Amino acid sequence: MRTKSTTVAMATATVLALAACGSGDGGGGGQAAAEGLTGEGTGADCTIDQPVPLAAVLSLTGAAASYGRSQQQGLELALAELNEQGGVTYDLTIEDDETDPRQSITLFDQFTGQDPVSLIIGPTLSNAAVQADPIAQDAGVPVLGISNTAEGVTEIGDFIFRNSLTEQAVIPQTIAAAKEEYGLQRVVVMYSNDDAFTESGYEAFAAALKDEGIEVAETLTFSKSDTDFRALLTQAQAANPDAVVVSALIEAAIPLVTQARQVGIDVPIIGGNGFNNPQLMAEAGEAAEGVVVGAAWNSASDNPENQEFLQAFEAEYGSQPDQFAAQAYAGLKLVDQAVRAGCSAAAEDLQQALGDLQGVPTVLGEFSIDENRNADHPATVQIVQDGRFAVLQ
Amino acid sequence: MLLQYSTTLTFVALAAIFAYSFYAVLVAGQLSLGQAGFASLAAFSAVSLAPDPDAVGDVPALLSAVVVGMAVGALAALVLGLPTMHLRGVFLAIATLGFGEAVRVILLNQEWTGGAQGLPVPRVVTLGMAWTAAVLVAYWFWRMGSSRYGRALEAIREDELAARAMGIDVGRHRLSAFVTAGAVAGLYGVLLAYYIRLIVPGDFGFTAAVEGLVTAVLGGSTMFLGPLLGSGFQTMIPEVQRAVGIEAGWIRPFLSGLLLLVVILFLPGGLASLIPRRNRLPALGGDDRRPDLGGVRQHPPAGETVVSATGLSKEYGGVHAVQDVDLEIRSGEVVGLIGPNGAGKTTLVNMLTGLVPPSAGRATVLGVPIGTTPVHRVTAAGVSRTFQHSKLFARLSALENVLVGGHLANRPTFLRRLVWLPSARRDERAALERAARCLHRVGLAEKAGTRASALSYGDQRRLEIARALAADPTLLVLDEPAAGMNHVEAEALSALIRSLAADGLTILFIEHNVGMVLRTCSRIVVLDFGEVLATGTPEEIAANPAVIDAYLGAEEADDVHGGAAAAAGSRPAGDGGTADPVTETRPSRAGTLDPPDATGPTARDVT
Repeated sequence: MRTKSTTVAMATATVLALAACGSGDGGGGGQAAAEGLTGEGTGADCTIDQPVPLAAVLSLTGAAASYGRSQQQGLELALAELNEQGGVTYDLTIEDDETDPRQSITLFDQFTGQDPVSLIIGPTLSNAAVQADPIAQDAGVPVLGISNTAEGVTEIGDFIFRNSLTEQAVIPQTIAAAKEEYGLQRVVVMYSNDDAFTESGYEAFAAALKDEGIEVAETLTFSKSDTDFRALLTQAQAANPDAVVVSALIEAAIPLVTQARQVGIDVPIIGGNGFNNPQLMAEAGEAAEGVVVGAAWNSASDNPENQEFLQAFEAEYGSQPDQFAAQAYAGLKLVDQAVRAGCSAAAEDLQQALGDLQGVPTVLGEFSIDENRNADHPATVQIVQDGRFAVLQ
Repeated sequence: MLLQYSTTLTFVALAAIFAYSFYAVLVAGQLSLGQAGFASLAAFSAVSLAPDPDAVGDVPALLSAVVVGMAVGALAALVLGLPTMHLRGVFLAIATLGFGEAVRVILLNQEWTGGAQGLPVPRVVTLGMAWTAAVLVAYWFWRMGSSRYGRALEAIREDELAARAMGIDVGRHRLSAFVTAGAVAGLYGVLLAYYIRLIVPGDFGFTAAVEGLVTAVLGGSTMFLGPLLGSGFQTMIPEVQRAVGIEAGWIRPFLSGLLLLVVILFLPGGLASLIPRRNRLPALGGDDRRPDLGGVRQHPPAGETVVSATGLSKEYGGVHAVQDVDLEIRSGEVVGLIGPNGAGKTTLVNMLTGLVPPSAGRATVLGVPIGTTPVHRVTAAGVSRTFQHSKLFARLSALENVLVGGHLANRPTFLRRLVWLPSARRDERAALERAARCLHRVGLAEKAGTRASALSYGDQRRLEIARALAADPTLLVLDEPAAGMNHVEAEALSALIRSLAADGLTILFIEHNVGMVLRTCSRIVVLDFGEVLATGTPEEIAANPAVIDAYLGAEEADDVHGGAAAAAGSRPAGDGGTADPVTETRPSRAGTLDPPDATGPTARDVT
């Protein structure tokens, strides 16, 4: 018996010791941080002495890493610009949730507990948002989602905001515009049914097609990890549709578009948010021509914020930004707007100010937060022309 | 202070429970990856079926969900286990992996699971609840560890065939381990669901399964604290990396992988191998050189038929390993089975002990018909054996080996151990005592705590005999027990066998050391090319020209000639009388017999 209790005690001690060294010394700063977070002046004149602590929980590794890394680039670009501006500086901690909900939860816990921040940006995936946002809501720390498109995320509570348009906001416009342009009557719908984002995109497509009175000849599903779509595409072609509507992530979109052209589908391909990525043209090349993409961000927009962003991004990273980078960039700029509006980064003030954002010029266009804390800004319908996104007129 | 880290600590507990579901089968040597599927099924069913926490309160809702989840997990494991339990190693892993994938795809395509977007779940689980569950699961496996059931699982992991020969019903044990894994995985699925607020089929995929397996292996799958240690380690790695300020990104998974590699390289037994394993020393009064074995079995009166075989044959793809053997062994006999290599001795013994079904013929051993009876039933009837190539449970101590040997003689204790019934303690003590007696009897008492693999070759052979004795057999079958022993050891073994016979055991043994066979046995059966060449008393066999003839063509010719000649009293003069029959193997001492290297027709003609 003695030996047994010793081993149990040892194990417990090991676990506790690991816990202790694992969590560092972040605790206890909450009060002090909150006190120094209000400043003087308003708007551009606002000055806050202490750097405003912010956190971003992104999927930098794991399945969603490609989005997370884009977001990281967008955030870092915006951070550099903001800190150069002066008056208010930001101390942004970008953390990786490894595309694992357990890590998102742990990180949200950390940023609302041991290492308190004024606001959390993220997480990358909507699933993680549903799992982790309640922690921030309970702790009274505002959250700004920059890529959460699933329904219901902001319903978690009044501290949860997002600047990402939902698929439900973008897709009806896309279908309406495409119907007008091509006189669609009959389409084939394809989507990957094992991903929350593409599945909710499909639901939005299905609803929009129904509203527009467009017949769905066939609905085909695939997996987000599939790369060979020839059999499905042949089946789609046999239905002789006016267009193929696809809800897929970019990894599937590229081979799907390429193979569609190979099997001889030359009707328009209409994609959701997942298609809004310069990789599409870079990798699918010619095949991408004529793809119609509903998007929250109009990459071809000539508003000055967007032009400035495109140039700065290109200069910094040597590549074109995608929608995730644009939304991340816009997100941090919006946080800055909200902080400066009340010249306070205290959680309650920030929550108030975020809710009051109206008509802010951003790379996404004129941006407002609606009464449900969702994004409100013009969506756009783009078409690939000459290897670039152009607005579908 | 603890509350500050409650999220992390909760995940340590949850991950540990998941790792226990892998431990449950790894401890029995099964590699299964289906646990994520069990957890997924359990989580989705429990969340759908259990009452709303708002209506009935958190704890009742969670408890009913846990009951549903564990039942679903166990049921799924049973359904999957029935057709797959005969699969071993990587084949079971692949089959269970396929199951997990099938579950994921099915759940993705169901309405009630919310498809890829998953099912929202209220958060109910707290740090305390998670740890209570983890501690209960750990307690279960702790109590299982040194119960009869736990030892049987370990024996199956170490050597399935030997475990079967010890009378362990391998199929049932493997299945029950699998069902336990299903129930524990189900518990994990439910607790996770009620903690992370949203369950998605994708979260229970291949990655989750591999992660659970890695946690269990990293922690160690031979000691009940392993999964807890593994989970603590795995869950803390990201925390530690964050704390020491390693920048987020690819470097972290890289370092985690590296660390994992280092741990596995230097601690192949997992983190739990750092904890010393307890070696219980059997307490046995006195140092009697021939303690009573403490058996309770009533042996049949001397002279009664123990084994009776007629026309027994075994054919392997056209090769007649054993052909038309008639054999009768009576209670109290010591029967030696000799013959050249490939004569079919081991095959015959394997048939008589129920390991291999005969192709033709009939045999009854201790009233049990052979061929249709599973091995563990034959063992239960009182047949116990050792193997030609020692089949000890290598990573278990000598004492544990013998305890497993007593599987059938001991009473099951696991469930009683869970609730600390004194009777379980008494039974365990009785089992220990019996094991200690068996070890004493073969002279291995001082090495009770030594791992079987660390014993010398001769000690391993003796340990095998002790293990066979622990089953309290009527018929003891020894397959080349003296192989690798020097003549002193062989002499002691011979004495041991005779003493066992004096205790009323019937003994059948195969041995190449013919001198020893001649001096030990009351009767000898000679096999050649699968057929009985001769049978009779040692004197008759030693003088039988056909036997000597048959041996001439075989490699062991010298052995037989020397031994047979010596035992028959035809030892040549001039050797100073020092030649021991056992070591009497050199051709020059074979006296009047032809040298064994003079094989072939000539030699045969001469004799």
